[in-house]
Amino acid sequence: MLSLIYNELLVITGRWRSYIGFIGISILMPLILWGFTYGSQGIQDQYTRQMGGSFLVVGTIFNSFLATYIIMQALWFHIPFLVSLAAGDSVAADGSNGIFRITLIRPVSRLKILTSKLLASYIYTTTLLLFCAFWSLGIGSLVLGTGDLIVIDKGILILDQSQAWVRMALAFSLAILVMCMVATLCFMFSSMVNNGVGPIIGSMFLIILGYLIISIPLDFFDKIEPYIFVTYFDVWLDAFKEPIPWMGIVKKLSILMAYSGVFFGVAVFIFLKKDIKS
Amino acid sequence: MIVEINNLSKSFGLRKAVDGLNLDIPDGSVYGFLGPNGSGKSTTIRMMTALITPDEGEVYIQENSVLKMRNKALASVGALIERADFHKHLSGETNLKMLARMDGTDISRVQTVLDRTGLGSRGKDKVKTYSQGMKQRLGIAQALLSHPKLLILDEPTNGLDPQGMKEVRDLVRELSYEGITIFISSHLLDEVQKICSHVAMISFGKLITSGKMEDLLKESDLLMTEVQVDLLENAAELLSAQNWVHRCDAVDGVLRVGVDKDKTAEMVQLLVQNGVQVSAVIPRTSLEDLYLSKFGSESKI
Repeated sequence: MLSLIYNELLVITGRWRSYIGFIGISILMPLILWGFTYGSQGIQDQYTRQMGGSFLVVGTIFNSFLATYIIMQALWFHIPFLVSLAAGDSVAADGSNGIFRITLIRPVSRLKILTSKLLASYIYTTTLLLFCAFWSLGIGSLVLGTGDLIVIDKGILILDQSQAWVRMALAFSLAILVMCMVATLCFMFSSMVNNGVGPIIGSMFLIILGYLIISIPLDFFDKIEPYIFVTYFDVWLDAFKEPIPWMGIVKKLSILMAYSGVFFGVAVFIFLKKDIKS
Repeated sequence: MIVEINNLSKSFGLRKAVDGLNLDIPDGSVYGFLGPNGSGKSTTIRMMTALITPDEGEVYIQENSVLKMRNKALASVGALIERADFHKHLSGETNLKMLARMDGTDISRVQTVLDRTGLGSRGKDKVKTYSQGMKQRLGIAQALLSHPKLLILDEPTNGLDPQGMKEVRDLVRELSYEGITIFISSHLLDEVQKICSHVAMISFGKLITSGKMEDLLKESDLLMTEVQVDLLENAAELLSAQNWVHRCDAVDGVLRVGVDKDKTAEMVQLLVQNGVQVSAVIPRTSLEDLYLSKFGSESKI
């Protein structure tokens, strides 16, 4: 299995499309960090207002932790698209390029091949998010410095620097798991068709639809909200709650993993029965 | 038999691509597989290699069902199916190494098969820089990677120039001398006749004929030789009396003689000794004749 995963990683790293996400992040992050460095007064004022004058702020609340928190919220909708660029291609491209005619005739089970492709997509997804973390937390710390993290949600949470590191690590870990679920969704579509664009469109359509349903306050939508996987995408925000709602996190992750299981199950069912005619 | 195909059928929608096909491929043979376009050749080959699941019937390779014991059955198979496609952004060598890792084949085998197919010096180049002929050779190289006992080649000379075709033909011969069974589908009947010991023809998914090349040609009166002589009737009478002459007809001023190849010289000698002047001996036997007799002159393979 390891050699199959290695093969898939070779294919992913050899495709220019796989680097779009990394290039995008490499362009976007310096811009955002530059913006935070020279134009963060507005955000600081907004935060101070939200704190309702209860706190006396000395110096700046703005640092790499707050920047990362804001960036994660802002990019949360875009990262699935970048993830799907690799996952969408993983099965479909091999079909359209005729690669299956040389790989599926070998004495290796289709299930193994499919699993290795999914795991390679997970590795890609993880790398992409770690790259994001490297920029926002790593380079961000050098540019903006570190300090306490102030999170304003249903209250005000102030985390000291050592806690902030832990919470960020947890948030990114949860984000990686959520994005792996997105990769599985895209992977399922990829096993159904023979071009890499269809799975990206299909996945993004479902995600957008999910966001629309959970954001429009209709009774009917409220009823179906618990059954929509997008509802649980914000699980990473739980890392910034006090105390950390572990039971809630486990529940949300279980639901997302169940969805991933179903998506992968569908992909396996289709792929094992698929006639390779191209 | 290295391959047994039993009652194999496959439909795509309402169209029956392969219909109750039975075929036995003897161990060590070079087996030609012929038929017009859309006759079910590729579908059959894809079912042999587990790319397509049959609706009915089974393919056994070395007594292992491709359907039920897929990995065991395919362990001894190398195949090039239609055109050779690879990851274009990777080198030929990397592509083969990936396949070797899948097979569990020793990586050092990669250079061996690259050398054998004439790509030894281009292995490190990206596949997108290869010509169609080079890609086809790389396709043969990947088929040879895991020391196959059965080599399935679907149109292996596609895109090759005459020199490339000859090289493939020579390679197929070499491999058959090494004891590898070769199942080859080609539209070049002359090529097939030159290298194949056995042949099968299918049409509309059904087997039309199969067997040893020589037997099929004989049975079809196609070991025919046209002989131009001065005394047509005498010569016809003389040859008809010989027990090694299968058939002898005088048609349009020439004799059409059904005779084994190794008797041709004896036939000419006999005619000359009996005062018949022989001005031309034209071999008319060809797989093309057999093919056309089965499918008609409009058929495309």
